[in-house]
Amino acid sequence: MHKEELKQGIHDSIPIVLGYLPLGVAFGVLANQVGMSIIQATMMSVLCFTGAGQYIALGVMQVGGAVFTIIVANALVNLRYLLFATSLVPYFKGQVPTAIGTLLSYGLTDETYAVAMNRYQDHPPTASYMAGLNITSHLGWISSTLLGAILGSFIGDTDRLGLNFTLPAMYICLLVFIINRKSDTIVALASALLCLLIGYLLPATMGNMFNIIIATVIAASLGVFISERE
Amino acid sequence: MMIIGVSLVSILPRILPIALFSRYEFPKPLKLWLSYVAPAVLGGLTALSILAPEGDIDIRINNLYIWAFIPTLVIAMKTKSLFYSLLVGIVAMALLYNFTS
Repeated sequence: MHKEELKQGIHDSIPIVLGYLPLGVAFGVLANQVGMSIIQATMMSVLCFTGAGQYIALGVMQVGGAVFTIIVANALVNLRYLLFATSLVPYFKGQVPTAIGTLLSYGLTDETYAVAMNRYQDHPPTASYMAGLNITSHLGWISSTLLGAILGSFIGDTDRLGLNFTLPAMYICLLVFIINRKSDTIVALASALLCLLIGYLLPATMGNMFNIIIATVIAASLGVFISERE
Repeated sequence: MMIIGVSLVSILPRILPIALFSRYEFPKPLKLWLSYVAPAVLGGLTALSILAPEGDIDIRINNLYIWAFIPTLVIAMKTKSLFYSLLVGIVAMALLYNFTS
C-alpha cells in the first residue's frame, strides 16, 4: 500500500464526490417517493453504483413496470463499461495485479474512468491510487443516497448552488487534459457530434446510452484511420 | 431480487474485461484503437452533459449549461487546473441560475 498514491486517489475523487452529492441525494429522495425504504435505497447504491441505471429503475417502478425490464435496461446502460474497462487493460498490465484490478473495477464509472485515464497518461496506475479514487467516490455516492433517503423532501433546490454543473465542468476539464495528439481533438469532436446526432435520430439511445457506445466505436476507428495516414 | 439483478448487470461489464483480458498482450492496432476510447468517451459525455442536461437534447438559448460551458472551457484551457475550472463552472452556473429566468 503506497500511502501517497492512496492520498492522491482520495484527493482526485473530491470533485467526483461533490458532483455525486446532488445526484445521490436526488436518487434517495425519489427512491423514497416510489416506495423504497431507506435501507433498500442505500443498498441499491452500495450494490449497483450506476447513476443512470438506478434512475431508470425508479422510472420503471413508478409506472409499475416489471423487474425484468429494469434488469434488461440496466444491462444495456452498463454495456459501455465493457469498452471503458477494456481500454484500461493495457495500462494495468504489469502494474496492478489482475485480482486487485478486477475487484477495484467495481468502482468504475464515467467519472472515475475519466479521472483515472487522465492520471495514467503520465503516472503508472497503482492499486492504492485506484482504491483511493474508486472507493471514496463510491462512498460519496452511498452517503449522498442515504442523506437523500433520510431527509426526503426536506431538501431544497440544490440547483441554486450551481452544484448541478460539477460533473459537466469536470468533463470539460478532463477532456481538455486528455487531448494530447491532434487526432485526439478530431476524435473527441467527431464523437461529440455523433453522440448528439445518434441521440437525435434514435431518442431511445439517449436513455440507454448506446449513443455513447456507437459514437465511441466510430470515432476511435476514425482516430486509427487518421493516425495511420499521418 | 431487483437490486441483485441490477447489481450483477452493472458489475459484470466493469470487472470482466480486467479479469479476462489482463493475461493477453493486445495487438498494436487494437491498442491504438483503445487509446482513442478515452477522448471519444469524454467528447461524448461532455456534449451530452451540456447539450442534453436533463436527458433530452436542448440546444436553446435558455439552456444555462451552454452559457456556463464557455467560461469553464476557457479557464480549463488557460489554467489546466481542475480546481479552478470547477470553481468557475459552479459559480457561473449558480449566478446564471439565480439571476436569469
